[in-house]
Amino acid sequence: MTMTAVPFADAGLPAVRVQRQTPSGRIALTLALAALVALVAMPWWASTGTIRWILELCCYLAVAQMWNLLAGYAGLVSVGQQAFMGAAGYALFVLAQTYGINPFLAVFLSLLVPAVLAVPTYFLLHRLEGPYFSIGTWVVAEVFRLVSTNLPLVNSGAGMSLRVMKDYSAFERNVAMSLLCATLLLVTLGGSYWLLRSRFGLALIAMRDNPVAAASQGVQVGRLRFLIYVAAAVGCGLAGAIYFMAQLRITPGSAFDPMWANLAIFIVMVGGIGSIEGVLIGTLIFFVADRWFGEYGASYFVVLGLMTLAVALYARTGIWGAIARRWDAPWFPIGRRLIDPQQGTKGETR
Amino acid sequence: MDREVLLEARAVSKSFGAVRVLHEVSFDVHRGEVLGILGPNGAGKTTLFNMISGDLKASGGEIHLAGTALRGEPPFRRCRMGIGRTYQIPRPYSGMTTFENLLVAAAFGGGRSEKESYAFCAQVLRDCELSDKANRQAGALTLLDRKRLELARALASDPKLLLLDEIAGGLTDEESKDLVALVRRIRDRGVTIVWIEHVLHALLAVADRLLVLNFGEKIAEGPPAEVIALPDVQRIYMGIEG
Repeated sequence: MTMTAVPFADAGLPAVRVQRQTPSGRIALTLALAALVALVAMPWWASTGTIRWILELCCYLAVAQMWNLLAGYAGLVSVGQQAFMGAAGYALFVLAQTYGINPFLAVFLSLLVPAVLAVPTYFLLHRLEGPYFSIGTWVVAEVFRLVSTNLPLVNSGAGMSLRVMKDYSAFERNVAMSLLCATLLLVTLGGSYWLLRSRFGLALIAMRDNPVAAASQGVQVGRLRFLIYVAAAVGCGLAGAIYFMAQLRITPGSAFDPMWANLAIFIVMVGGIGSIEGVLIGTLIFFVADRWFGEYGASYFVVLGLMTLAVALYARTGIWGAIARRWDAPWFPIGRRLIDPQQGTKGETR
Repeated sequence: MDREVLLEARAVSKSFGAVRVLHEVSFDVHRGEVLGILGPNGAGKTTLFNMISGDLKASGGEIHLAGTALRGEPPFRRCRMGIGRTYQIPRPYSGMTTFENLLVAAAFGGGRSEKESYAFCAQVLRDCELSDKANRQAGALTLLDRKRLELARALASDPKLLLLDEIAGGLTDEESKDLVALVRRIRDRGVTIVWIEHVLHALLAVADRLLVLNFGEKIAEGPPAEVIALPDVQRIYMGIEG
């Protein structure tokens, strides 16, 4: 006798529904779209100085969310994402300044550099576990900095200026910067939200929570980690290209500044790891603290460090984690609530 | 047993450095049968499972699934080939709900689309008596429910071969009976089962054959009543001197 395996639960499947969105999510999505429109319209309501501030804020958000994807989902704690910011920044300057390519087009072409560099970098680092991986990413960023310091193509240690931007009026530059800011947030935050809501979001969270079990249930953990690493490199690259375009100048020290890793860690740890809401909260805290207390220099950094330490010790899920425990009202819900008529809808929403 | 062989292990061995954990273990599992694996702690039972599921590479020997040799396939591919498994210590995705835990297995291991998986997973939850906890965070489940979740998640990947690793541990007699009934229903659907278990009465209630390991070697294999009566098994496994 030969028996054929049939799915255990094949016959008479129940009529169920799955709820993906929540009222709080709808409100947040509406506000997010309004913020996006306001970003695009910045040249008509904001001064050049304000646009510069908001551009920095957008870069912080993007870099922090990319770190969040890496550390909060793929379990890859990188302290060297500045490698890809600097690489894309330099690529933009070389393409626009040396080869005369339209700088706004060059922003997107420059993303090829972090994408390509991320591939061998990942294969070099992926065998390292935990803190060894982190140290490896920092070493890679330092190597990139040393290479740029000695590479005549990028004017070695003297750095480069983006003089071609003089060809555009202040208003044109503001329009371009506003559109680039909106694109940056759409790609990094919007892209992350879309990814986390997709079926790959399921795999990402499974991989974060238990990579061994995830692999035994059909998730290609290694491939997914690689893709996240490359995607985070491109996201950081886009932030870097836009940031240094606004700065009009790039040097090895600024391009590969470890400050970017520090701020990403601070934002995600304080705001709440593994959530987009946490990145938003952490970025706002960092941005306000940076603007108000930045003048105090070293002592200000000590306070930020102590704050990160306190959160790591006493509130490991960050500010958003504490909020989510109290109120089940996610801004960007990624969960799936089963509505089985036999059982009702008890449970939490992510 | 005239059924087709689904899983075939030939002289499977595993060593960690100088420590020999399994030594040339051979056995067949036929389609639709339940093979129980017995053995004291450290006998190599879970190591054997890890080699079948691809979590560990064998140091020697061969494993075939439905005639196909399993060599370098990683765990995700073996799952897609039809090998589902549970872990002795439950490994839930704590940040997800019970329902979402099953969706991962159905969508990635079972190859269903996400939409197709919804009703299927809801039915598996009902079958495993987890429906009322569908939207609860898996990290907040009790040990018993975590064990049920392990089984439900393995089922959601539509396995041809189901590897159960001590899922009855810590259950009451009543809960064990429910579990045995569930395992029987799974078997009756044509799913082949290999079950490692220390709760002997649960295993004996459903196993077609038993295989006994001791210090990494197979010491007995056959019908449960005959295997349990063997003096070596009585002495080694149950501590009864003949």
